[in-house]
Amino acid sequence: MGAVTDDEVIRKRLLIDGDGAGDDRRINVLLKSFTKWCNSSGTPEEGFTQYQRMLGTLSQCEFSMGKTLMVYDMNLREMENYEKIYTNIEQSITSAHEKIAECKKEIQRAKRIRKNRQEYDALAKVIQQHPDRHETLKQLEALDKELQQLSHIKESVEAKLELRKKQFHVLLSTIQELQQTLENDEKSDNDDISQESPAENGD
Amino acid sequence: MGPVELLHMSVFSLSYSPCGRFLAAGNNYGEIALFSLSAALSPDATSQSQKPVLTFTAHEGPIFSLISTDCHLLSAGNGEISAWSWTELIKKNVKPLWTRRPNYKSSLEIPEINSMIINPRDNSLVVGAGDNNIHILDMEHGEFKSVLQGHSDYVHCVSVREREGEILSGGEDGAVRIWDSRTGQSVHCIEVYKYEDCARPQYGKWISCVTTDSDWMLCSGGPALSLWHLRSLSPTSVFPLTGCQRQATFYQDKILAVGEGPYVSHCLLGGKVKAEIPCTSQSLNTLQLNTNSTEHRVLTVGGSSDHIDVFTNLSYKAFSLSF
Repeated sequence: MGAVTDDEVIRKRLLIDGDGAGDDRRINVLLKSFTKWCNSSGTPEEGFTQYQRMLGTLSQCEFSMGKTLMVYDMNLREMENYEKIYTNIEQSITSAHEKIAECKKEIQRAKRIRKNRQEYDALAKVIQQHPDRHETLKQLEALDKELQQLSHIKESVEAKLELRKKQFHVLLSTIQELQQTLENDEKSDNDDISQESPAENGD
Repeated sequence: MGPVELLHMSVFSLSYSPCGRFLAAGNNYGEIALFSLSAALSPDATSQSQKPVLTFTAHEGPIFSLISTDCHLLSAGNGEISAWSWTELIKKNVKPLWTRRPNYKSSLEIPEINSMIINPRDNSLVVGAGDNNIHILDMEHGEFKSVLQGHSDYVHCVSVREREGEILSGGEDGAVRIWDSRTGQSVHCIEVYKYEDCARPQYGKWISCVTTDSDWMLCSGGPALSLWHLRSLSPTSVFPLTGCQRQATFYQDKILAVGEGPYVSHCLLGGKVKAEIPCTSQSLNTLQLNTNSTEHRVLTVGGSSDHIDVFTNLSYKAFSLSF
């Protein structure tokens, strides 16, 4: 059954479309009618009407040819246009790629900077917890001065102590010498007296 | 892997391959699963590409730590460190290159290894172990060259301060110790729980995560997550996060932290919590950023479920890989 319908289909198509489609068929029909007209043996009016009809078909063919030429021109120009757009788009794609690469590098740089800043912040937090260096230095200086003053005082007190010690020593040694001298004098007095008295007893 | 086992699975560690295209995850059953990130992130990814390309049992116990060097994957769990070659693993060949065990004093019980990190200065592996010591393994000769002693309870986490060549370690005894890698002496000891701003006595004094950026240090655990300035050894910011944080990392100008609670916390250095991005697992154990590859720059987090969340944009979870 498929084969029969195929044949039917082919026959019908050939019948309907035997001359080709559209313009092709018009040219074929024109040719056929021209040969028929040349070989016709009818009335001149019929020949004239056929002639007019053929001129009409001819002008139709010329018209459609003109149309196709214009369409062809238009297509050429459209192609050029598309080529231009295509190259533009390619260029913008490559520049976008480059920009993306640039931006990626920027991001890496920015991430590094952010990391450094955060490390800095973290360290700064720790450092803030410790007291200020200037203050500590000032405190140290004040303590130093106090220390110096105290050591001065200590030195002067010690010097005074030494002086007093020496003075007392002088005093004590003078007293002792005086004592010694007094004792010596007493003894020598006693000796003198004892020497004198035996001399008096002898008389 | 039955559904009950999947339900009880916890992911403890994550690590990326040196090319950045694969992710290795270690769980509490001792298995390592290899996921292909390039397949999972490609535009035509299916649900199959979110499953591992390779799963194998690496250790008998849970794998607490995974790290990658230029060509090896090192895994550690119950007292042993195994090394696998990444190229062999990508070809699905699961034979370990070597397995070593640090010199533990007592041979009765084998302490677990909680954390490892590579010290790039002298190409050594710093291992924080459950015997309260830190063992240093020389990667070139394969010998354990020194032991850092000082903690009084097991070591949870280690980190390396590259510029000064120092090792930081945090332990259950609440102390963060800073060691000089050349002399092996403890240079500083910070007892975080003694500082009023950070201490949270209701959680304890243990330190579960330590990470550093050469000038700054983040530490958390029982005490609140706090940012410390290492030159002056003083805490500069304390972050008001509920729960104990298990891993934290510096990323550009932010701090990312995971711990108890089904979210990744984004914090600013000043102490503000900027965002909490929800995740699949109820609590998270680990987070890793893929810095090895430019086209697969993702953040992955793993925790107390068999799902590993992948973030392509830090603001939201893109999809989950599952065991």
